This record gives sequence, C-alpha cells and structure tokens, in this order.
Amino acid sequence: MKKLFFTSCFLLFLSSLQAQQKITLHFHNKVGDKDLQLFTETYTNKFGESFTVNRFKYYISKIILIDSDSKYYAFPSDYFLIDEADSLSKTITLTTAAKKINDIQFLIGIDSIKNVSGVQTGALDPMKGMFWTWNTGYVFAKLEGQSDASHAPQHLLSYHVGGFKQNENALRFVRLNIGQNVSTKNLILNINADILKWFDNTSTIKIANQSVCHQPGNFAMQLADNYAGMFSIQQ
Amino acid sequence: MKIFSTIFILIVLIFSGIAWTNNSFKPTPLQFIVPKGWPQTVYDFKNNSLTKEGFELGRKLFYDERLSKDSTISCASCHQQFAAFATYDHNLSHGINNSLTTRNAPALQNLAWQKDFMWDGGINHLDMQPITPITADNEMGETLQSVIVKLNRSKEYKAMFKAAFGDETINTQRLTKAISQYVVLLVSSNSKYDKVMRGEAAFILPEQLGYDIFKQKCISCHKEPFFTDFSFRNNGITTDTTLNDFGRMKITRDKNDSLKFKIPSLRNVAVTAPYGHDGRFFSLMNVFDHYRKNMKVISNTDSLLQHKIPLSNFEIGQLTAFLYTLTDSSFLSNKMFAPPGYDITPNFIHNH
Ligand code: HEC
Ligand code: HEC
Repeated sequence: MKKLFFTSCFLLFLSSLQAQQKITLHFHNKVGDKDLQLFTETYTNKFGESFTVNRFKYYISKIILIDSDSKYYAFPSDYFLIDEADSLSKTITLTTAAKKINDIQFLIGIDSIKNVSGVQTGALDPMKGMFWTWNTGYVFAKLEGQSDASHAPQHLLSYHVGGFKQNENALRFVRLNIGQNVSTKNLILNINADILKWFDNTSTIKIANQSVCHQPGNFAMQLADNYAGMFSIQQ
Repeated sequence: MKIFSTIFILIVLIFSGIAWTNNSFKPTPLQFIVPKGWPQTVYDFKNNSLTKEGFELGRKLFYDERLSKDSTISCASCHQQFAAFATYDHNLSHGINNSLTTRNAPALQNLAWQKDFMWDGGINHLDMQPITPITADNEMGETLQSVIVKLNRSKEYKAMFKAAFGDETINTQRLTKAISQYVVLLVSSNSKYDKVMRGEAAFILPEQLGYDIFKQKCISCHKEPFFTDFSFRNNGITTDTTLNDFGRMKITRDKNDSLKFKIPSLRNVAVTAPYGHDGRFFSLMNVFDHYRKNMKVISNTDSLLQHKIPLSNFEIGQLTAFLYTLTDSSFLSNKMFAPPGYDITPNFIHNH
C-alpha cells in the first residue's frame, strides 16, 4: 500500500514535469484537388481513365514526431486504420511531450512482427477486413471501385496492397515537413492523401493494364511506391 | 495540500481496486507436457497461457456448428477425433451448401511444434488458422462479425469467456486463442512406436523390418519424432487439372516451389485415409505405388526421389506393419477431446 502511494506520487510528479500536448491529425482523402466522394463521383486519372471509388482504407502506424535537434517522439504501439467510410477514423489524436516539432514520419502498413504474432485486437482485428487469411498478412492499403478501362469482371478496380516478407516488402515510410519549430500546443495537422498518386508517381500504372492486385509481390510494391507519395500537409 | 492528499488517496484506492479485481480472476492452469526427447514447442504459451477454462471454451467452439453461416458445420465436421482429426474417408471435405474443399483435411496433431499451417504453409500462426475455415465460402461461409454477434447472444458463452479471460468481452483474438488452447493440446505421442522407443514394448519382426526400411527410404522427409520435418517438397506429385493446385508456389510465387507441399506427419496414418494434399491416394498401397511407379520426376522433384523409391511387395508389407505402429489409440479415444458432454464423438458429428 505504501509502495503504491509513493509510486503514484512519483508518477504525478513526473507528469507535472513533462507537460503533455495533445495534437490532432485530420486525414483528408482527395482525388487531385477534389474531396473524395465514395460511389457517386467519377474521376479521371492522368491517362484519361475514368473510375469511381467504393472503398478507400489504409493503415498508419509507427508515427514519430521529430524536432529540430532530430529528437524523436515515437508512438510505437499505436495503429490506426483510416477508412473513408468511417469519418471518425480519419482523425487521430496523439499526446506527446514534444514542444516544438519540424517533421512527422509514419509507416503505411503494419510492421512484420504484428504480421507473424497471431491474432490482434482493435484496429488490427482481422475482422476489419484488411487481412489475407490464405497467406497470413495485413492488407496495408485498399482502393476499390470500378472503371470502364478495367478488363476485370464487372470492370472492377481492386488494389489490395500488402506484403511484409523479404522481396515483397510493401511497407513504406512517409516523412512530411511541418515547418520550423512548430509549437505542438493545440496543433492540428491536416494531411491530404491524393488517390491520383496511386496511378502516377514513380511507376505508371494504367487501370487498363492492371486493375487487380490481390497478393504481395512486384505489382503491390509498385503501388506502394506510388502511394507513398500521396500524402502532403495542407497549408 | 488537503486537496492533494485527497487526490492521492483516491488514486491509491483506484489502483488497489484494479489489483483486487485482477486477483479474483483465477483460472485453473493446465500444463503442456513436452514428451521426453521432443524439442521445445514453436507455439508460445506465454501469449496464451493454457487454462482448464480456456481449453473447455475452445473445445466447445471446436464442436459448435454456430460458427458456420447456416449452423450445419463445425470444425469437428471436417476434423474428427477417430480419424486423428482428419476427415474420415473423404478425399475432400464438405462445407456449407454442398460445397467441397479443394484440399484434403490433414490430421490435427502435435500442432504446437508446427510453424506453418496448411498444405502450402500459407498460415504463419496457429491462432490465425480458425479464421480461414470460418470465413471461407466452401467451408463455414460465415463472417467474424456475425460469429461474435451469435456468441454474444449466448449467456453460456459469455460466462465461459469470462471464466477463461477475466471478463465477458468476446473478440476475434479471444475466440481464436481459445480454439488454440484446445487444438494445441491434441498431442499424439503414445503409439506402439513411442512405447518401443521408450523401452515399454517391442516391435514384432515385420514391424522391425518395416522400421529399418523406413529409416532407409522415408525418414529423411518423414522425420522422427513427428514423422515430418515440416518442410515443403515435391514428391513427384502431378497436377490435378481440375484443381490446379501448385502448392507452395502460391505463397512464394517462386517457380521452384511448384507442386511442393508440406510433408504430412505419418502419425496415425492408418486412420487418416485418403492421403495426399488432395486426397488422391485412397490407400497406403496407392501411396506406395506412387513412390515406386507413378510419381513424375520433374526439375524440382526432391533430389532424394530422382530415381523414385524402389519397393518390393515384400517391403511394402513390412512398411505397412511399421506404419500401423504409429496409431495412437489413447489419442483417438481420449475423452478429454470428445465433444462437451460426451465420451466419444457421437454419430451426428460426422454425418457429412
Ligand atoms: C469444411 C471442412 C473444414 C472445416 C469446417 C474446418 N477445416 Fe480445418 N482444414 C480443412 C482442410 C481441407 C485443411 C487443409 C487446407 C489447406 O491446406 O489448404 C484444414 C487445415 C486445418 C489446419 C492446419 C493443419 C496443418 O497441419 O497445417 C488446422 C489447424 C485446422 N484446419 C483447424 C480447423 C479449425 C480450428 C476449424 C474450425 C474453426 C476448422 N479447421 C474447420 C478442412 C476444414
Ligand atoms: C522427398 C521427401 C519424401 C520422401 C523421401 C518420402 N515422402 Fe512421403 N510425402 C512427401 C510429401 C511432400 C508428401 C505430400 C504429398 C502431397 O501433397 O500430395 C508425402 C505424402 C506421403 C503420404 C500421405 C500421408 C497423408 O497423410 O496424406 C504417405 C503415407 C507417405 N508420404 C509415405 C511415405 C513413405 C512410406 C516413404 C518412404 C517409402 C515416403 N513417404 C518418402 C515427401 C516424401
């Protein structure tokens, strides 16, 4: 009992030293400069291929805030599933001891350890549908819709990207500059995610050539390279 | 100052409250016994401590048809105890709505030592395994969401989850951990062969001669004590053009892995017919004929099998006598693994 009392004193003391700031990240899913509308809107990629979007989801994890001394404030065990269909999921709040920061870094996807350690809970529950059962592993990002350019049945556009093993690693880090010594006090970061980058970034991906990705491998890695560039901070 | 001490006292009370509720959750630990001379398990019991309550919950789930969409199929429909938890007498198993699996249901035994699951090794953790049959259209055809809704409707399940995990929450992780507690305890290590190895029994002559042949011709793949080294090999099996199953290649996308399948254990092989990843061999004789005549040597067929395996009829008789010593009747009839409330698997479980 006495020990508990002192531990709580100590904890309280510690937390008073390290004032915690709450920062908020809002993810805004976009197609070019338009806000993403599921089902209803038709969009066109750089190659003139029109498409609709029915589902758009991706995992964000391993968030790190970096200050001007390159000091890291990490959130190693927080995993978030950003789902366009679930507006609450698009806002993340983090509590941090960082006072001023320059950059934010995160991983798109789920680290390999969590892919091999059995069934997880919360955002990582296989029930969320971001999971391959036949070849154990998380789907890191999912873009589904339809496109007249697609040769798949029902003109499906279905990109499920994942893969954590060697030679098929589709995990991608993203680092975004926020500014110079930006105060974390009540900080709100608006982060855009532009779907058009999936088709056109380091690789050229035409729906007419490949409209389906349902397994790890080269195509999944190309898509991952492309979408790794989809994020930007709204000014 | 007074405010502070009040806060402290409150915090202390909350902490001790938490400590108290934790203390009241005391499930009965179950011990996992590693048979003498066997390696350490691959399954990590630290993340899923075995308890009587967890095991009983897992057993109930394993035998519960509510895990399937139309409440007709349980895990036990395809994994029957008297067949060492393979599907008795079926090359392919039956799922909901007259569907068929595309592979032969393997025996479930000694899973604690296994790293990869399925014939192609696509599943990397025992806890992951139940999700596949539950959600596959040609097995139980259900969604995890709906299974959890159904379980939550049952007072009995709520109480059992509480007894096993400390509170009534039912989620995918708890569901699968409980099933693992049951299947991981399916250990077969008490066949005549094991007794001979322990010096408690002796082979009769044909068995001994069969064992000698086995050690010459089979053991490099069907390695003791599991009678598999768990690796993926091409044993000269050919493609079935209706199933087009290329095995391990589906997982690695490497051409060299074409037609490689996980070497099956031969424990309890006398009761697990038909054999092979798609159940194409209806008897052990078919398997022997495969190795001595019918197998097809292609570029990635295992180097040990480049010249097939010469086997005389005489040798086949002795090999068969030896393989029959791998039958572990105490495992096949262990009441602990029978459906809750029964001593043996009743007929209605295997009407598929
Ligand atoms: C419709 C029949 C069917 C049902 C129902 C079924 N299984 Fe299976 N099971 C199979 C088949 C077929 C395989 C082999 C699949 C493969 O290799 O692709 C298998 C494989 C397995 C394996 C892997 C064994 C190994 O050595 O790799 C385990 C473990 C398992 N099942 C457990 C379960 C559990 C637990 C359930 C209930 C949640 C269940 N099964 C329900 C047919 C079934
Ligand atoms: C090069 C490795 C290798 C050797 C040597 C080998 N096997 Fe196999 N065995 C396998 C593989 C791989 C399979 C699975 C084939 C499939 O998927 O259809 C298998 C399947 C079997 C099966 C079917 C078991 C079941 O439950 O489905 C039996 C029985 C069997 N082997 C017996 C033998 C015997 C007896 C010998 C020695 C005469 C032998 N094997 C030698 C690799 C081998």
